[in-house]
Amino acid sequence: MVCHHYPQLHSVEAVKERFDEAGYICTQQIATVIYLASALNKPVLIEGPPGVGKTELAKTCATVVAKPLVRLQCYEGLDEAKALYEWKYGKQLLYTQILKERLGVLLEGADTLQASLARLHASGDAFYAREFLEPRPLLKALEQPDGAVLLIDEIDKSDTEFESLLLEVLSDFQVSIPELGTVSAQSKPLVFLTSNDTRELSDALKRRCLHLHIDFPSIDLERQILAQRVPELQQALTDKLVRFVHSVRSLDLKKTPAVSETLDWARSLILLHATDLDENTVRQTLNVLLKYEEDIQTTDSQIHSLLRTLESV
Amino acid sequence: MNASIGSDRLLHFIQFLRARDVAVSPADSLDAIHVASLLGYDNRTQLAQGLSAVLAKSQQDRIAFDAAFEQFFNVDIGQAQTDDPGDQNGPTANDNNEPNSQASSQDNNGENRATSALDDLATRDPQVAELLQSPLVQDLRGGQEANLALAIEGAAAEAGLESMRRFTQRGQFMRAMLDAIGELPLRQSAARLEYTEPAAFDELQQVREQLRNRIRNRIERGYLLHAQGATERFLDEALEQVRLSNVSPYQQARMRKLIDRMARKLASRHGRRRRKTRRGQLNIPATLRAANATNGIPFAPQWRQTERRKPQIMAICDVSGSVAAYAKFLLMFLYALQDVLPRTRSFAFSSQLGEVTEWFEQLPIDTAINRVNLSYGGATDYGRAFQDFTELALNDINSSTTVIILGDGRNNDCDPRIDLLAQIQGRCRRLLWLNPESRRAWGSGDSAMPSIIKHCHIATECNNLKQLQRIVDKLLADTRNR
Repeated sequence: MVCHHYPQLHSVEAVKERFDEAGYICTQQIATVIYLASALNKPVLIEGPPGVGKTELAKTCATVVAKPLVRLQCYEGLDEAKALYEWKYGKQLLYTQILKERLGVLLEGADTLQASLARLHASGDAFYAREFLEPRPLLKALEQPDGAVLLIDEIDKSDTEFESLLLEVLSDFQVSIPELGTVSAQSKPLVFLTSNDTRELSDALKRRCLHLHIDFPSIDLERQILAQRVPELQQALTDKLVRFVHSVRSLDLKKTPAVSETLDWARSLILLHATDLDENTVRQTLNVLLKYEEDIQTTDSQIHSLLRTLESV
Repeated sequence: MNASIGSDRLLHFIQFLRARDVAVSPADSLDAIHVASLLGYDNRTQLAQGLSAVLAKSQQDRIAFDAAFEQFFNVDIGQAQTDDPGDQNGPTANDNNEPNSQASSQDNNGENRATSALDDLATRDPQVAELLQSPLVQDLRGGQEANLALAIEGAAAEAGLESMRRFTQRGQFMRAMLDAIGELPLRQSAARLEYTEPAAFDELQQVREQLRNRIRNRIERGYLLHAQGATERFLDEALEQVRLSNVSPYQQARMRKLIDRMARKLASRHGRRRRKTRRGQLNIPATLRAANATNGIPFAPQWRQTERRKPQIMAICDVSGSVAAYAKFLLMFLYALQDVLPRTRSFAFSSQLGEVTEWFEQLPIDTAINRVNLSYGGATDYGRAFQDFTELALNDINSSTTVIILGDGRNNDCDPRIDLLAQIQGRCRRLLWLNPESRRAWGSGDSAMPSIIKHCHIATECNNLKQLQRIVDKLLADTRNR
C-alpha cells in the first residue's frame, strides 16, 4: 500500500538503528515520527527549545537516507523570490536585446499583422522558459530526481504570508509558476520544519504536518548522547557533567542550557584536560554553558551547593 | 472486519479528543487511520506516539491527548484490540494468564470448580444447557474479552448510545443495550430458577451482574464521549453570554480558558501584519520583473522594505469596589492579551494609578491579579487616575496607540478631569471606553459618562465576553487598516 522512497526508513526499529549509526540517538517518539513521515509522505514540524537538536535531526536524516539536504533558513521578510523561484531577469533582458535582430528575420515576409502574430506565437514563449528560471531552495528540493531532505529552519521567524505560500509545497509537493504551470516533485522530499515557538503557527500549516516536540533529554539519554558525540570524555566525568547540567536546568535562568551547550562544555573540558568537575573548573568554564551574564551570576553563587548535592547522590 | 472495528474505535477516540478541546479535522482523522494501520495495534506506546504526531498540534494538545489516550484505550479495550485477530476460536490458554481483567479471572475460577451448580443443573435441565451453550454466556463465563468487547460495541451501536445526552438516561440505555445484546433468556432463566435452584440462581446472577457491569462501564464512557463534549460546548457558549459580574467563582477556571482562547484568536488575527512601504531601498530584481511587462521601462519601482504593523495598546482598568467582579475578568483578559500582543501596557487604578505591565509579564495570573487588587483597590477617583496616567505614559502615546479604558465612569461626584481625558484623546489613534453598565444607566446618579462620551472615539457597553471579543476585534482591525 505504501511506497517507500526511502528504504532506509522502512520501520521504526530501522529508523532508530540507522540514526544510531549516524550518531544521533533518538527516542522512540522521534523514531516513530520519522518513520511515519517517510511512510505517509508528510512534513514533520519539530518544535522545542533551542539547542535540543532539531536542525541536527534533519541533517542526520539526510545522511541516513543519503540524499542531498536542501536548507531554507527563514527570516522576517522572506518571500517567494528567495524561497521558491526567481526569473533570471538579467538574462532575460540581455537575450531580448541580442535577439532583437532575429525578430526581423523571423517576421520577414509576413505581410499582415495577423501573419506576424501567428509566427510569433508559433515560436513559443521564449523568455519565460525553464532556462530563465532560477530555482530557490523549495523548488530545488522538489526538482531533485531521487528525493531530498528539505529543511525549513525556524519557520516561526518568517511571516504569516510565507506560511501560506508553503502550504502548496507541503501538502501537494508542487509549486505553481504562473508562466510555466505547475511543477510537481519528481520524487517527494522528506520535509522538516523547525520552530522555536516564538509565535503560533497557522492552523492550516499545522494541519499538514506531523508534530514532534523535542524537549530537553532525560539524564540517561543525555549521557548516551554525550558518550556518542564526545567519546573521549571519561565515563565518570560524563556522568557527573550530565547530572550537573540537569541541576542547572532546574534553576531559574534566562536561557536554559540545552544539549548543544552540554556538548560544547564537554569538549572544552577535554581541551582543558580536566579530569574532575570541581568548583574551580566549573567556575572557569561556566561561560560555555550559560550565555547570559545574569545566568552566570545566578549559577556562580550556587556552584558549591550544586556540586555538593551531586556528591551526596 | 478487524480493521474496520479498529478504525471505528479510532474514530470514537477522535470524537473523544474533540470533546476535550483538541481540534481534529476530518483530514487528521484520515491520517490517524493511516498511522494506526501502519503501526498496528499491538504496541500501545508506539501507537500513542504515532497518533499524537497527527492529532496533537501543540504542547497543550499533547497533554490533553495523553490523558485522553490513557482514559479511552484503557486496559480492557486495548486487550480487545490486540486479542482480536486470531482469538476468535480458542484463546482460553491465553486468557488464563490475563491478570488485568478481574471478571475473567473470577470467572475462570468458576470454571475451575468444574462441578458448578449451573453446569450440574444443565445435565438435568435442557433449557439451562441451551442457555449455557449460547455464545454470550460462553464468552462471559470463559472471559473472552475480545468477543465481549465486540458484542458490547454492537449493542451500543444498536441502542444508539451516541444519542445519549444526559447522565440520567443511563437506566434507559442500560435496558436497551441489555436487550440488544440478548440478555433476555438469561433474565427469564433467572426468574425461573430463583426459588427452585438457589445455587444455580446465584451463579447465574453473578454472570448477569458481570454483564451489567461491563455495559454500565461502556455507557459511562459513552456519556463522557458524546454528551460531556456537548455539555462543555453548551457551557462555554453560555458563559460567553452571561454578564461578567454574574460568573460564579467555580466557573472561573473555565472562564480563564475561554479568555485565553479568545486572546489567542484575536492575536493571531491581528498580531503581526506587514505592508510594503513606499520608500527606501530600490528592489532591483522586483522592479525589473515588473518592467518586463513594459518593455524594460521601469514604470513601477518596487521597494525592499516592508513595514511591520505593531498595534500598541494601553489598557487602563478600574479595579475599584463598584466594578470588582467585572474587573477580575478584564484583568484576566488584559493578562492574556499582553501575553499574545507584546506591545500592550497595562495600568490599574481606583484612585491612584500605576503600571502593572511588569507584574503581568512576570507573575502567574492569579498572583498578578491579586497583587493588582491589593495595590490599587479602593474608591474611584478618575481625576487622580488620569493625572497619574498622563504623568506616567502621556509622552509614550503616539498616533499608533490605542487606549482602552475599562470602567463604569462613576466618580463619587468628584471632578473627573475631563480635560486630561481630552488631552489623551488628542494624542492617541483611538480612545475606547468600555463600560460594564448598560447604556440606560449612563448619566444616572454619580455617573460622569455623558461628559466622558464626548472625548472618546468609541464608548460602548461591554459586560460579557462576546461583546468584549467583538469590540476588541473591531478595534484591532481598525488599527490595521490605517
